[in-house]
Amino acid sequence: MATKKIGRREFIKSAGVAGMALGAAGISSGFKVRKATAAQTRSIPKTPLKVATISFLTGAAAAPFGIPGDNAYKLCADEINNTGGILGRQIEMKSYDEAGGADAQVKLARKLILEDEVDVILGYISSGNCKAVLPLSDELGGLIIAYDCGTHVLMEERRSPYKVPKFALGFRSSAHLGIDNIGLALFVQKYFPEVKKIAGINPDYAWGRDSWLIFETAMKQLIPGVEVVKTLWPKLGATDYTAHISALIGSGAEIIHSALWGGDAVTFTKQAIGMGLFNKARMAYSRGEPYPQEVGMGYPEEQIICCAGTHYFLYPPKDKWPLNKWFVDTFYKTYNKYPTYPCYHAYQAIYTYKAAVEKAASLTGGWPSKEEISKAAAGLSIETPSGILTIGEDHNGKEDVLVGFSKKIKGYPFPILDPDRMAIFPSHMVNAPVGIRTEDWIKSWEV
Amino acid sequence: MEIWIIYILNGMYFASFLFLTSLGLSIILGVMGILNLAHGSLFAIGAFMAAFIIGALAEKAPVTIFVIGLLAALGVAGLMGLLLEVSIIRPMYNRALEYQLLITFGALLLIEDLIKMTWGGTAYYASKPFEMMGTFAVGANEYPFYFLFAILIAVIAGIGVWLIMSKTKAGIMLRAISMDREMATAMGIQIRRLNTMAFGIGAALAGLAGALVIPTTPALLGIGMDPLIIAFIVVVLGGLGSLKGALVGSVIVGETRSIGIVLFPEIELPLLFLIAVIILVFRPQGLFGR
Repeated sequence: MATKKIGRREFIKSAGVAGMALGAAGISSGFKVRKATAAQTRSIPKTPLKVATISFLTGAAAAPFGIPGDNAYKLCADEINNTGGILGRQIEMKSYDEAGGADAQVKLARKLILEDEVDVILGYISSGNCKAVLPLSDELGGLIIAYDCGTHVLMEERRSPYKVPKFALGFRSSAHLGIDNIGLALFVQKYFPEVKKIAGINPDYAWGRDSWLIFETAMKQLIPGVEVVKTLWPKLGATDYTAHISALIGSGAEIIHSALWGGDAVTFTKQAIGMGLFNKARMAYSRGEPYPQEVGMGYPEEQIICCAGTHYFLYPPKDKWPLNKWFVDTFYKTYNKYPTYPCYHAYQAIYTYKAAVEKAASLTGGWPSKEEISKAAAGLSIETPSGILTIGEDHNGKEDVLVGFSKKIKGYPFPILDPDRMAIFPSHMVNAPVGIRTEDWIKSWEV
Repeated sequence: MEIWIIYILNGMYFASFLFLTSLGLSIILGVMGILNLAHGSLFAIGAFMAAFIIGALAEKAPVTIFVIGLLAALGVAGLMGLLLEVSIIRPMYNRALEYQLLITFGALLLIEDLIKMTWGGTAYYASKPFEMMGTFAVGANEYPFYFLFAILIAVIAGIGVWLIMSKTKAGIMLRAISMDREMATAMGIQIRRLNTMAFGIGAALAGLAGALVIPTTPALLGIGMDPLIIAFIVVVLGGLGSLKGALVGSVIVGETRSIGIVLFPEIELPLLFLIAVIILVFRPQGLFGR
């Protein structure tokens, strides 16, 4: 997509609001300058900002996933409020439960936008919920930032090249599942180039189907002779995986891909340990980072774990990236647990919003409209505890990805990623170019 | 080839708690004519009760504590069943089916909220008994002892119910009600008291089934929904009010699921309904229904 880059200095000059430059970095394209006279008359409201956060607060995904994510929102909101709020406005945050399915979430989002008139919704772990709710952003004129859901289809169209952004007011402040599954495939190619048989066990809905599609496509590109011996589709929230585990053992697969998450991932792992699956095959979890901490020392070593970006309590190293040190230490002190990737995603969502508001305000001279915030967010780069996050012109986050092996190391009550065998795949290796479907991009690789 | 032994054992394990759930459902439906949608919530109460007891006490002797958890789950779910029957089910006996569905669905929501108030909305893990029992070898593969233990518990409970139904006066009267309610009333059987008893037994079995899955599954809200749906398949397939039907139906469903996942993973759930449809085409009253 052709875009015109505008430097920060020139832009501020032309808008006549140089005094309001608030350090917005990475300004890019597409931002239309409003007339200075109109901008200068704007004021910053004194009322608190209404922010709705939505995560799973009940059910199997709550403990390992939704509640830590929600806790991170609270921690970040407190930090922002204690340091002056967003342009002086305090955040008034309210948490909502994501349970109840897509219909319930559509109703909730309608209520939040139309009745409660929230400034922004930061939410959604489930890809199904994201797909159902994000179109409401433009339909109802509400700013929605999807913080964790992973399906790549959310922001992509059916054919390449496609026009971006898909939603004017809808964003995802994290990368999609492409980075996890391409990262996994690259990792497998690096450490197990001779692998012959792979299998998959993935939840039977958008997230699981899409994760497997990308992993399988990437694997067949990278290791052409690889054979898929079994693909299993338990339903989301299944509680009994015994038959699946036996089927995987019987398949003779060497590496088993899985995008199981939340309580499903914990339950599957516990049952698989009891049935000896890890003595027969190696799991490759596309977003497995939270679960060693959930399962504890019983979690098997040598499993391949992807971190949904570079979201890890030990990476980037605390001595090299103080923001990760602050985030991990504060989170651990407050909740007695290390932050997991949903926590990092929550940080990304709320700070993306903050940075976008500040960037837009620096250009408009007062509190920006939702459209202006949205335009400011596209092309934004911010520092996060995990490194640098960039929001693409497609309104989707772009990140590097970290993959490693689980290993028991003294000093930790659960296996961590083996520090000697971590691999970080940079953003350009795992994210399709803007406007090109991930699947098409993978198929275009020349290996 | 040994892997097929494991597939079959898996099917039997799945059948074990399904048998207990569907037997309870079948007794309530067969004797009382009540379609109890809250049966899944009674399963959930048993699951949470067992998880709570194991979680609180199982540091030293998880297996012994688990047996206590099983009995507590059976008792609490049975007690809840008695309360439900006396309070809200009893006035529904002479009403149309819609009333039963509404009232038992209401009970389902009520119990779910009760669980949420008591244990919170997050998942409870209590896998110690599963981990402590270890595994045994099936050829080159391992298989957990716990699954055999679960099958054994289901067999014992099944024999217990069979003894009650065939050897005790109350059981024989329950069967009489199940066969011909009007005639049983005419013979002077106290239907009201026996209804309460049947509901209590059915609820206790659901609670026991819930407790039985806890060492491998977290206790969480809605845990009883899947077993309830599959138990309906078993009841329809095996025939109403039949112990033999619940047993054979559970084994068919358990084995179909286990082997179906190996051979036809794309149609894991529809396969169960397909089997039920095929059987019902040839025997609309179910395999052992009258």
